[in-house]
Amino acid sequence: MNRIKSFFQDVYKNRVWLLMVLPGTIWLLLFAYLPMFGTVIAFKNFHYDPNGFFASIQNSEWVGFENFAFLFNTNDAWIITRNTILYNLVFIVLGLILAVFVAIVLSELANKKLSKIYQTGMLFPHFLSWIVVSYFVFTFLSVDRGLLNNILGWFGVDDPISWYNEAKYWPFIIVLTSMWKGIGYGSIVYLAAIVGIDKNYYEAAMIDGANKWQQIRNITIPMITPLIVILTILNVGRIFSADFGLFYQVPRDSGTLYSVTNVIDTYVYRGLTTMGDISMSTAAGLYQSLVGFALVMLTNYLAQKVDKEYALF
Amino acid sequence: MWQNTMKINQNSSPPTPLHKGNVQNQLNQPNKKSKRKKKYTVHGLSGFPNLLMNILLGSFALMCIFPFLYVIIISLTDEKTLARNGYQILPEIWSFEAYRYLWQMKDQLLQSYTITIVVTVLGTVFSVAMIALFAYAISRKQFKYRGFFTFIAFFTMLFSGGLIPFYIVATQFLHLRNSIWALILPLAMNAFYILIMRTFFQRSVPESILESARIDGASELRIFAKIVVPLSLPGLATIALFSTLGYWNDWFNALLFIDEPNLVPLQSMLMKIENNIEFLRQNSLAGGAQNDLLSAIPQDAAKMAMVVISTLPIAIAYPFFQKYFVSGLTIGGVKE
Amino acid sequence: MIVLLFSLTTLLAACGGGKSANTSGSGKADKNKPYEIMWYTIGTPQKDVDKVMEEVNKYTKEKINATVKLKQIDWGDYDQKMQLMISSGESFDIAYTGGGNYVLNAQKGAFKDLNELLDTHGKELKATLDPAFIEGAKIDGKLYGIPSNKEVGQQSVYVFNKNLVDKYKMDISSISSLEDLEPLLKTVKENEPDFTPLATFKPYLPFDYILEDELPFAIPLEGNKNKVVNIFESDIMMETLKTMHKFYKAGYIKADAATSTDPWPLEVQNWFLRKEMYQPYAELIWSRSAGYDVAVQPMHDPITFNNSVTGAIQAISATSKNPEKAMEFLNLLNTDPYLRNLIDRGIEGVHYEEDANGKINDLPARVESYNMPTYSLGNHFILKLYENDPEDKWEAFKKFNDASVEAPTLGFYFDTNPVRTEIAAISNVASEFAPALLTGSVDPEVYLPKANKKFKDAGLDKVLKEIQKQYDEWKKNN
Repeated sequence: MNRIKSFFQDVYKNRVWLLMVLPGTIWLLLFAYLPMFGTVIAFKNFHYDPNGFFASIQNSEWVGFENFAFLFNTNDAWIITRNTILYNLVFIVLGLILAVFVAIVLSELANKKLSKIYQTGMLFPHFLSWIVVSYFVFTFLSVDRGLLNNILGWFGVDDPISWYNEAKYWPFIIVLTSMWKGIGYGSIVYLAAIVGIDKNYYEAAMIDGANKWQQIRNITIPMITPLIVILTILNVGRIFSADFGLFYQVPRDSGTLYSVTNVIDTYVYRGLTTMGDISMSTAAGLYQSLVGFALVMLTNYLAQKVDKEYALF
Repeated sequence: MWQNTMKINQNSSPPTPLHKGNVQNQLNQPNKKSKRKKKYTVHGLSGFPNLLMNILLGSFALMCIFPFLYVIIISLTDEKTLARNGYQILPEIWSFEAYRYLWQMKDQLLQSYTITIVVTVLGTVFSVAMIALFAYAISRKQFKYRGFFTFIAFFTMLFSGGLIPFYIVATQFLHLRNSIWALILPLAMNAFYILIMRTFFQRSVPESILESARIDGASELRIFAKIVVPLSLPGLATIALFSTLGYWNDWFNALLFIDEPNLVPLQSMLMKIENNIEFLRQNSLAGGAQNDLLSAIPQDAAKMAMVVISTLPIAIAYPFFQKYFVSGLTIGGVKE
Repeated sequence: MIVLLFSLTTLLAACGGGKSANTSGSGKADKNKPYEIMWYTIGTPQKDVDKVMEEVNKYTKEKINATVKLKQIDWGDYDQKMQLMISSGESFDIAYTGGGNYVLNAQKGAFKDLNELLDTHGKELKATLDPAFIEGAKIDGKLYGIPSNKEVGQQSVYVFNKNLVDKYKMDISSISSLEDLEPLLKTVKENEPDFTPLATFKPYLPFDYILEDELPFAIPLEGNKNKVVNIFESDIMMETLKTMHKFYKAGYIKADAATSTDPWPLEVQNWFLRKEMYQPYAELIWSRSAGYDVAVQPMHDPITFNNSVTGAIQAISATSKNPEKAMEFLNLLNTDPYLRNLIDRGIEGVHYEEDANGKINDLPARVESYNMPTYSLGNHFILKLYENDPEDKWEAFKKFNDASVEAPTLGFYFDTNPVRTEIAAISNVASEFAPALLTGSVDPEVYLPKANKKFKDAGLDKVLKEIQKQYDEWKKNN
């Protein structure tokens, strides 16, 4: 009894704060928690019932892990897992290096006005949707109309390259497109951190006679390392999910490219649009978020081991 | 699940203000110029490396803009010229035909523009308010249940119920179908932004100012409105920019919930064309049936013109946001 | 847990029913209040739908004491939206469906079994429908939707640009195979730089497909009709693809054929030859929308496939609150010329005008704001003819239907449930190889074996065995 009373007292005491979280909490309940019961579909063979969705769930047969099988039991399943992880690894590593590099250069440019203009330019792709990007890419790669084949034509290459049929170029095109879209944004995040570094460090270093390179290595990079670690942990959490638009719309769903463009998300989409099997797509989603969760926890734990300050939570 | 990836991707890797620091200096700075000058002396390449780096970054920045200019040029090229010469940087014959084609659809396009703008503005205001309130509460030590509420936000980053249950909640509980709220509410909150803003508030709104306000007898809500919000403008602006971007580029919620043509936003018009083409590719219809469909699919130049008009407003708008954007990311880390 | 679910269900039903629950509830109890039929159909939403429906409702209220709410969903969005609505158990009455979606949704219990309803509330309808439709669309003996009464069979045809045919005095009537096209294509390629000889298409192959066209399982139309085969292992496939690849290499096909999304609009004169699905007098429709003449040469005799009888179906949802009324409406729609024409052509005097002979002409309003796809809306044979339609159009349809040969698997619908894992994997392999192979973009001698190996890895043999088992079973009973 007493406990209940003190609980209500606490609630009363915190009423302002509770009021503040109320709208958000309602949203989370409605749009995030309420739908979670649907996860059970991943373990059922979904069948429609005239009495609505809940009756459907209830009356569908329990099949255990059968819905997960298509993610594991073929050669392709191995390829898509490999593609997803490898691409994401490249994106994380290359994205990190390039973004940090560009950020440092931006901060070091003598003419700050130019630096601002470059930033504006580089940020532009970040605001585009993948459909728009896929049109952009097509204007370059179209076999009979594209800019690249036109240019190759000027150099006397008469045989136009059928870009959308040649798998060997695509790992580069995918990575390039992803970097093109992401670097500007990434570098500005790091630039913000660099601008925030206490200037006294640099002044002291200059008095000690440190050159530019030494300053960067000994001041800039160590100072932005915590940010690097946190962003990397978050990216690792998504290593099992791929940008659907990048891997589906940009290569125009070209079959000959699947060996290098098929990732978990596109595989699930292609496999299940034919059958509209929501059980299997729910299963795939669950699998991706579970692995992502485990990986975030693991990286976070490792980062924490190195330095408490690096941990995300 | 597909939807989730899309959602996340639009907003990939938001910023995390990191360094602890004193914000006040930075915020109450009427004499920006003198501070800038100080920065200039510390950083700055010279001579050949500077030139080299300028060329490097300059060309990368150009690369980022170029495809858009190129698409504009294509959209202004005569359709027959396109068929003969391909996409040229300097077309043989220019033509406004594509825009004339779009002009025929001006009612629909204007309507879609209006929808997109209304959704983007309303949605951004809505989501920034909700996220800021939530994040501020869980950033304060006085709030006893902050741990619990942090967790319920965090947990949603890891699991989602999938598309169908989400759809059911929106259509059958909330009756959002064919309502503009169907385009606003689903994107209103994002656990990721909440956690970012929480960190931001923790590190850049010092407890000491709040304490003095509390002693003066101000209520928490008043403190939030009068002190916290002005103090956090750059952070809020950053979140606002993400929201704007998310709303502007969203087509998926329209696909799910909107049947009324006068509620279709701009991006989803572009997507509809793509989907219709895809449909045509996969279905062969007998007799004249596909003619109805064919007439709904624009030709190359017109498609590019669609891309241009759906991208142009955000391309014009974001440079104005940009200064807030950078300082919003910086603010937490400034130490001077 | 179950109790919780139940209470949630009732809550949902209470919440979700909303407006329609009210109308339907009283519709059954109170005979005087008309029931509102919710009807979804495919096509770009037209401005005047509500206007036309007002007219429709005046009529249906009187005839069957019901009103109709027609909702169009755009071509490319339709499948996904219907899937969501069906999965979420939303209540509606009638929906257009067709082909694979009809079968899958029916097998999963989304549609109402109409065997009885058709007898009680749709007698006239049953009498007008070609029996091949009813028998062919039955899944395990149960009919789950009303097919549009139109051409029952499928016939692929070559469509030629007649301007070029005349210019070079080509004889197209002797064309019977892909190989025969070679000299014509060559002429065009050499003399007409502004034309692409072959508008992108996938060649006709003599198979009766079990699932979708690009999934590899089928019964051959020539040869052993009792055995399910992998089409990509057949000789005819190899031969056809070799020819296609030869055409591709010769430049008759566009280099980006495999990924091209170019719809080749008829009114743009940049093609010489294309493949289309035929119905009687389709060449007139095509010539009309092209603005110049086209000529047609069939690839094969008309065949009645599962796909052609289920091509356009109106199904009644399992969640319908009043399936009897829905059936009554479908009965009226398919047998009453006034209603059918109203829904298809619009309001007389607004969307079309009729001359003394009973022939009609579109007014601008129809083209602009009531351009409905005919095939998905119901019976064709009671539609008014256009001024430039041939007098015997519908007789020609009947003749076409009578001539159409039944495919071996007509009425056999494979239950994918036991092998859905394998089919998900096989779908991926099919979309990897089929577009490139079928458009001739890659060398079949290299890629066919690759594809077949991958199909095997993905579990093709297991699926073939399962299909064979179900097919044999079905044959025994039919």
